[in-house]
Order: sequence, then structure tokens, then C-alpha cells
Amino acid sequence: MNTNSNIYTVIYTTIIVVIVAAVLAFVAMTLKPLQDANIKAETISQMLSAAQLVNDSDLQKMDNKSVLAKYSESVRTAFLINSKGAKVRELNTEDGSIELADNLKEQNYNIKGAGEPNLPVYVFDKAGEEIYVLPVYGAGLWGPVWGYIAFNDDCSKIVGAYFDHSGETPGLGAKIKDEPSFREQFKGKSVDIAGTKLFAIVKGGAPEGATGAVDAIAGATMTCNGLDAAINTWLSAYKPFLATQMGASLSKECDGSCGENSGDCCGGGSCNGSCGGNHQCNR
Amino acid sequence: MNKDLKNTLLNPIFKGNPISVLVLGICSALAVTVQLKGALVMALSVIVVTGLSSLVVSLIRNTIPNRVRIIVQLVVVAMMVILVDQILKAYAYSTDKQLSVYIGLIITNCIVMGRIEAFALGNKPWPSFIDGVANGVGYGLILVIVAFFRELFGSGTLLGFQILPDSYVPNNLVILPPMALIFLGCIVWVQRAIQKDLQEK
Repeated sequence: MNTNSNIYTVIYTTIIVVIVAAVLAFVAMTLKPLQDANIKAETISQMLSAAQLVNDSDLQKMDNKSVLAKYSESVRTAFLINSKGAKVRELNTEDGSIELADNLKEQNYNIKGAGEPNLPVYVFDKAGEEIYVLPVYGAGLWGPVWGYIAFNDDCSKIVGAYFDHSGETPGLGAKIKDEPSFREQFKGKSVDIAGTKLFAIVKGGAPEGATGAVDAIAGATMTCNGLDAAINTWLSAYKPFLATQMGASLSKECDGSCGENSGDCCGGGSCNGSCGGNHQCNR
Repeated sequence: MNKDLKNTLLNPIFKGNPISVLVLGICSALAVTVQLKGALVMALSVIVVTGLSSLVVSLIRNTIPNRVRIIVQLVVVAMMVILVDQILKAYAYSTDKQLSVYIGLIITNCIVMGRIEAFALGNKPWPSFIDGVANGVGYGLILVIVAFFRELFGSGTLLGFQILPDSYVPNNLVILPPMALIFLGCIVWVQRAIQKDLQEK
């Protein structure tokens, strides 16, 4: 048989490619459930890390099963909210049927105007205190960057953060994940929901004592800008929710102020709505 | 085992080592040798890919149209690499993330295509398989040696277990790629000192 004829070459390559495609498709389908379980456990471990429930070195040693068990044990509730901050539905947190909002990319389009977003809120229990973990998602330099930011019970302070990426440059952009000192900076910072910029990652260093800004990573300007945009876009979408959380705690403390949208002034007054996100109550 | 086969098996491991003698596959050797575990998984992946793709190409060697033979080889190698990547993603997820793009880049590792072109196309399946595996082992051996020293002196650990006492301050230079090149240079030096016929006059 002449193996150099055109017809033979075309038929041969076609058959080879079809066989290879069939093998790969079969393997990919067979392994998909295992891979999804790995990704799910990883997502949860990132949230646990952000919420400071498990330290990073312990987390690396935990297998998928113990990560899921730890999640079910420490999570209080998880739910989806819409852009108004109203609860849409609960997410299942039972061990064995844990439900996560893993369609961050789709929600990112929705936040930017493609539709009504369903934003996840994960509420963890840490020694009786509530920890709110919110995701962020955006574009880095080479691919998506995402992360989880954990707030304290009235969302006034960030207690921790975790960031990940799909393909940022090792040693530069990848430091958002690999460099613990970058993540550590977020601890104790707060988000300015009244301002135009909620949070800033500042190239050349955040001003001394700034509450809503951290230092960017040298040599990773594009990644940091992407992460900055991701944080601001997503936290903007969470603004009504954050305002309610902050407002609720303010009325609890009864210092005579109220949140942006909340009508619940302490002592039954009404909100005058005049000065920024931190209005005074009329009595 | 006859003499030819034995030679096929042993030559790539020391005398004709793909990294230290042929200087192939350097890029990944520098990148994945920070930790011993990563190096072991990478070595194993390369052994599987070189062995199986040499075997498959050798099985179909008489049917491959000569004009598109590189493409056909590439399809076979790509299939093996994707299979390895998918299996690692399912069973060794954290190691797969650590090795990131380098598993996918096995496809461009000159050792794989080099052995197929040089050996598998002209030999029977069994010797080709041995040749592929042996070259993978030769590659992996260097990787493991370099990673052993880099993890020991760079982190004070081996396979994640603390080996050196806490009083040892980890040398951060060892973790960076340049130091891998220096270690590799030392290996080449030692090999050339032992194997005099490699020295240029």
C-alpha cells in the first residue's frame, strides 16, 4: 500500500484524530466527578483560610473529606442575595450535599449589567462571632483572578483574605496567592462603602495608616490592577448588603446613627439621609 | 535480556543522560525542582509519557505517512500528556497545581519527540518502550538529585518533613531558578570527571 498518497494521508490523519479525541473525551468524562470534588474542596479551603478558621499549613495537610467536614461544622448559613441585598435563596450546607456558588464568572457578567446577579454570602461561626465571607472575581493579566474576603460580624473590618489565579506569572503576579504577607495586609482594614472607591491596592505603597488601602506587589502592576478592579466591582455589588450589616450593628450600639438604606434608627426615629453612608437619626 | 536491550535501558540513565549529556528538557528541570515531591511527580509523568508515546508510535510506525509523521507523533504525545494531566487533576490535585503549566509543557520536551524520531520510528515496540522509559528515568534521576539538594538547603525539609534543625536558616537563593542551573552544572561537572570520553580536547 502506498502510504504517501494524498488520499491515504488524509484518511489516516482523520482516523488518528478521531480515535485520540474519543479516548480523551471518555477519560475526561470519567474523571470529571473526581476533579470537580477536588475543585470544590479547594474553594472551601480558600474560604476557610480567608476566614482564619484553619491556618495555611494545616490546610495543606487536610484531605477533601476533612475540608468538607470542617466547612459543615463551622458554617452557620450560606445564601444568595440579589443586587438590592435581598436574600434570594439558601445554599445547602449539610455535609454530603454542600452547595457552593461556583459560577463566579457568570455572576461577574451579571454585575457588569448582563442580568440580575445572584451573589453568594457565606456566614461562618468563629468562637461565637459571625464571619462573613464574600467572593471577588475579575481579570488579571493572563487569566482570571479571584478570591475570598472575610469580614467580622458587622462587616466593618476585614479579618482575612485569600486570593488565587489561573495563570499569573510565577514570582510576580502569582504572589497574590504565594506571598502570605500580601494577604496579611488585608487584616484589620475596612471597606469605605460611602466613597467612590471601596478599597484600593496602591502601586508604590498605600499611605501610612490608610484603612482602605494596601500595598501593591512590585512587578505585578497588571495583576494588582485587575485584583483592585475585581474587589471594587464585587464589593460595590455587595454594597446594600454591607450597608445593612453595618447599619444593623450601628443601631445595636445605639449611637444615634443609621446605615444608608436602613430605616431602623434606634429609638424609633427616621433616617435623615443627608451625610454619606453614616446618617444621623432624627428623633 | 539481551545485550542490545540492556544497553538501550542503561545508556540514557547515565552515559547518554538526556539532561546532563544531551542537555534536553532543561526548562522544566529548572522550574519543577524546588520541592522533591513535585520533581518525583514530574519525573513519573515524563516516564509515562515518553514510554507510552514511544510504544504507540512504534506500533503504528509502518502505517504513518512520511509527510505528516511529525504531526501524527505530536497527536500521540499530546494525547498522553493530556491523559497524565487529567489523571493528576483527579488524583493529585495539589501537586498538579504546583506543577501548573509544566505538565502541559511535557509536550514540548525535546526528549519525547527526540526519542520518537530517533528510536521509536525505526524499532520494534518493546525496545522502543524500554528506550522511552529509560530516557524518562534518566531525566527523572537528574530532577530528583537537583530537587533533593534544593529542598534540603532551600527549605530545610525533604518531602515536606523537617530534616535540618530549626537553627538552620533556609537559603532563599537555592529556591530561585539560577541555583538549579548551578546544581545542574555541578552534576555535569561530576559526570564529566568520571566519564573522561565526554571531555572536549
